[in-house]
Amino acid sequence: MTELSANEDLKATGRVPSGCPVIHLDASPPLEVGSHWQKANELREESPAFFNTHAQGYWVFTRYDEVREMYQHPEIFSSESITPWEPDPVYRFVPTQIDPPDHSKYRQLISRWFAPNAITRIAPEAHEIGRRLVADLAPAGECDFVTDFAMRLPTEIFLTIIGVPGSDADLMGPWVEDFFAGFGGDLAQQEAMGAALGGIRQYWVEVLEARRGESAPRDNDFVSLLLHSEIDDEPLDDALILDILTVLVLAGLDTTRGQLGYLFRHLAEHPDDRNRLLAEPELIPSAVEESLRLYTIIFGDGRKVAQDTDFHGCPLNKGDMVYGLVSGANRDPRVYDRPDEFVVDRKANNHLGFAGGPHRCLGAHLARMVMRVAVEEWLKVIPAFEVASEEPLMERGGGAMLTLLSLPLRWEVPA
Amino acid sequence: MKLTVRSDLCRGHGRCYDLAEDFLEDDDEGFVTARGQTLDVPADQVEDVRNAAASCPEGAITILED
Ligand code: HEM
Ligand code: SF4
Repeated sequence: MTELSANEDLKATGRVPSGCPVIHLDASPPLEVGSHWQKANELREESPAFFNTHAQGYWVFTRYDEVREMYQHPEIFSSESITPWEPDPVYRFVPTQIDPPDHSKYRQLISRWFAPNAITRIAPEAHEIGRRLVADLAPAGECDFVTDFAMRLPTEIFLTIIGVPGSDADLMGPWVEDFFAGFGGDLAQQEAMGAALGGIRQYWVEVLEARRGESAPRDNDFVSLLLHSEIDDEPLDDALILDILTVLVLAGLDTTRGQLGYLFRHLAEHPDDRNRLLAEPELIPSAVEESLRLYTIIFGDGRKVAQDTDFHGCPLNKGDMVYGLVSGANRDPRVYDRPDEFVVDRKANNHLGFAGGPHRCLGAHLARMVMRVAVEEWLKVIPAFEVASEEPLMERGGGAMLTLLSLPLRWEVPA
Repeated sequence: MKLTVRSDLCRGHGRCYDLAEDFLEDDDEGFVTARGQTLDVPADQVEDVRNAAASCPEGAITILED
């Protein structure tokens, strides 16, 4: 197993004039499950801020207050780049990389579609999808949860909300897999990643063409709505619409899959919590929140410094990159009691798993609903299950979003 | 007890109206309708409202004790 602290990584190797300890940390290789959170814990307790000499070098904030402050101050911490090792990306994702004040124009186009009211409207369909997928898997007595279920469920529900056939998950699922295989930096996967992105874009081109020229927006059809929307009294151009749709796919499916994997691993390994949810299903929403806190898939999130600032003793210069360790913040003992425990009925849980500030995850309400559906429908049919692997489980590196690479589960099939 | 929701901080996470569902409501965009207001909290809602305030990721909710 690779250790995140191989070499002298964890040891402070020097000091910048500010007194900030210096580290060299590359979080991109896959590691044994839990290693990223452990690393975040260690860094957080050693110092609230570091300078990391990885790539061109960037600041790292490790505690809750600082990470939240980063999110809440876009005038200092711009989203022009959100990957600290890539300060000048060639792409510009909308709305992710747009700063206020323009940001809200784009965001308003999308936000109603993913608001709780809209999500509640499709909940019955989502439950039906969940029931069908569980019923398909149950007789086998085993599956690889992250590929067989955790990707399929959010994808079908997402497509249904957008207003295209859920069965197109056959196409979308593999594209998303290929995209993220390359996104983590694996050079062997770059070609497949490019092809996947092309596939996703072309899919939306066709959806767009099928709706062009209609006099009124179709009901419950997001792409049709975008075609009839305006920004600054101008219709949206195709490139912007394609960009928004592609961002939704890339932001929404792999993330939910990752989060579901960790939640179900927890339930597989903790029969007490599982039984509690069976007996008190009203606790499922709080279990979902607790998994977002404890098993944060966003190892860290990046921003670009927009003005010279002294930030808690770190002399930030315009153009510097910063990295807020969301996974450190969400286990910060300054904020949470029993920070490293899964407390199924935790009362005060203000985790930053969906970020904060203006870029707060736009799909948060959808993601929560999908996760609740997953737990509810799964437990009804498969109340007891375990991890079917002797080997330690591995997780993808923290350069993208964390996810288990595989989660083999098994359960008894009634005769 | 009173509660205030700061409109400059609320980002529509929805933790508050989920946890205090009998007292707080969401609007069409997912913000709490109490955004920018100060409300009296009925006695039977005090516990839920405390949890809601403690669960807002933006720290947008302030509780004013009597
Ligand atoms: C458990 C699952 C999810 C997690 C943990 C998650 C996490 C996040 C985080 C941390 C951000 C902020 C990124 C930044 O500003 O640097 C974000 C933004 C975003 N998410 Fe999610 N997300 C999830 C699911 C979804 C889903 C299901 C969708 C929609 C289909 C979605 C759509 C978006 C969009 C559009 C943004 C950009 C918002 C903006 O910039 O204004 N996410 N998400
Ligand atoms: S939890 Fe906080 S940010 Fe979310 S809706 Fe309530 S007040 Fe607003």
